[in-house]
Amino acid sequence: MDTIKLKLIYPRWKKLPGQTTFTLPPHGPVAFAATLPEYVDIDFIDENVEDINFDDPCDLVALSTMLSTQVKRAWEIAAEYHKRGKKVIAGGISAMLHAEEYVNHVDSLFLGESEGRSEQVILDWKNGCLKKVYNYLGKQPPIESVGPCRRDLYKRELYNHKGVQMVDLFHASRGCRFSCYPCAVSYLGGRKFRPRPVDKVVEDMAGIDNNRLFIVDNSLAQDKEWEKELFRAIAPLKKKWISHTIEDDPEVLDLAAKAGAWYVYQAVYDTSDYIKERVKRYHDNGIGVEGTILLGLDNQTVDDCKRLIDFLGEIDLDLAEFTIMTPFPHTKAYDDYLRQGRIFDFDWNHYNAGQVVFKPALMTPDELQGVYEYAWKSFYASETQESKMFRLFCNVALREMNEGTYRPRNRALANKSFGRDVDRTVKTHQNAF
Amino acid sequence: MKVSEKYYDEQFPFLGEWDMESLCGLKIRTVDGSTYVIVTELYQENPGTSVTYAGQKLRDQICHAKGLSADEIVYIECTPDTNSKLSFYDEEYYEVDFSADPQHRYRRLTTDEVKHILD
Repeated sequence: MDTIKLKLIYPRWKKLPGQTTFTLPPHGPVAFAATLPEYVDIDFIDENVEDINFDDPCDLVALSTMLSTQVKRAWEIAAEYHKRGKKVIAGGISAMLHAEEYVNHVDSLFLGESEGRSEQVILDWKNGCLKKVYNYLGKQPPIESVGPCRRDLYKRELYNHKGVQMVDLFHASRGCRFSCYPCAVSYLGGRKFRPRPVDKVVEDMAGIDNNRLFIVDNSLAQDKEWEKELFRAIAPLKKKWISHTIEDDPEVLDLAAKAGAWYVYQAVYDTSDYIKERVKRYHDNGIGVEGTILLGLDNQTVDDCKRLIDFLGEIDLDLAEFTIMTPFPHTKAYDDYLRQGRIFDFDWNHYNAGQVVFKPALMTPDELQGVYEYAWKSFYASETQESKMFRLFCNVALREMNEGTYRPRNRALANKSFGRDVDRTVKTHQNAF
Repeated sequence: MKVSEKYYDEQFPFLGEWDMESLCGLKIRTVDGSTYVIVTELYQENPGTSVTYAGQKLRDQICHAKGLSADEIVYIECTPDTNSKLSFYDEEYYEVDFSADPQHRYRRLTTDEVKHILD
C-alpha cells in the first residue's frame, strides 16, 4: 500500500479568563492515530500550540475534537480544506455530541471508538467510496484492543512551560456506570464501566517518556477490586499522577498514595462534614485535592453559591476549579432545560462552562455569571493559582527526588511557554475577568 | 437508579439518534376519546438515546408499531421519580407538540391532568 499523508488536526479553542494557560498534549487524536494502519503517515497539528499551514501537502485531513467549543472552529478548518479540494473526516467526543450539525461540514463523520475500524475508513477513501457516517455508537470494541497512544506524534517542546514538561494524558478504562446529571459520558462510552486489563495498562504506562501523568478516566471509583489491582501494579513504575475521584476507602487511598497519586479532582457540591472529611482523608494520605465546583444547579441561590465558595476556605483545598452548569447535548440537564424552555443560547462556542447559556432556577443568568467570577477571584485572592500550583509542583518534585525519579527542567526551554516566548506579566484572578 | 415498573406497561425498544439501540417505558391510555402515548425515560436501563433527544423519531416508531396516527394522539414524555436525593430526578410529565419551536414545544402537565389520564 502506498503511503497516505494524513493531516490530523486538533482545533483551537478560546481559554476562559480564570483558567490557567497551561496546554496539555491532547489524548483523543493520539488514541485515534494508534488505530490507523502503518501506511498512514500522520502529521499532527494541535492548533492550541501551533498554526495550521493549510497549503502544506497532504492527501487527507482528519479533525479530532473533544470540546463543544472546538466544533465551530473545526468546521472553519474543514471549509478551508474543502476550498483546496481535500476530503475531511472527523471524530471525537464533541463530534459525537454535535453529530447532527457536524455531518453537514465534513465529508465523513466517525461516531464511536475507532479500534479495529479506522483502516476501513482509509480504504473507503482510497477507493472513492467514503461513507458520510461511520456509526459505531453503542458498539464498543473489546477493551483489550485499546493499545498505547501514538505519543511519538507530539512535538514535545510545545507542551512545555519554562522548561517543565506538561503531564501526559492516559486512560485506564472507558465507559461509566454512573450517569451524572451534567455528564454525557454514559452516552458516549456506554453505561458499562470497561476497565483495561491491568497488564496492558502497566505496559502502556511504562512506555510513556514522562514521569507525570493525568489519568483521565471519569472516575476510578467504579470497581474497587480492579482499582486496588491497578494501584498495586503501577506502584513499581514510580509515576506520579493526577486523576478524578478515587474510592473513599482507607485501603484504596493507601494503595493510591503508594502508586503515586499526586492530586485528585474532587467534586465539592455542598458544605457538609462529609466533604470536609473526604478532603482530609485524601490529605492524610499525602494526596492533594483540586476541588471542582459546579455553579448554577437548580437548588442553588446566589447565597448558596457564596456559602459554598466560603466553605472552600475551611477545607484546605490545594486548588479549585469553578464551572458554570452547562447543558451539553445528550445529558439529562440538556433534556430537562430543553423541556422547560430554559436554554436561550445554542452557540456552541459559548458552551465552555464559563458562560451562562440557560436560565437558572433560583437566580438570573447575570447573577450566576457574577457568582462564577466572584468564585475565581475570591478563592485565589490571597494566593494566585500559579502560586498554589507551584506548591503542588514542589510537592511532587520532592517526592520524585526522594525516589530518584526527578528530572530537572529543561533549561534550553526556560524562556519558552508552549512554543512561545515567556510572558513575564503576573496574571491574577483579580485582573483576569 | 432503576425506574419503577409502575411507570410503564411495557419496555419499548427503539432506534435513537444514529439508529442507536435504545429503550423507553411505554403506556398508552384512552381517556374521553383521546389517545395518550406516555413514554418514560429509563436512564441506566436505556443504553442509547434519551426519550427527549429522540423526540419525534421515537413518536413515529411507536405510532408505526402500534398502528396509531401521529396526528391523533397526545404525546407525553415522563421523567420518573427515581427516589434519588437529587431534586432533578423528580417525576415530571410534559405534553409535546413537535410542530412548535423548541422554546414552546413542551408543556408541563399539572398533577390533576396526570391523574385524569392515569387514574
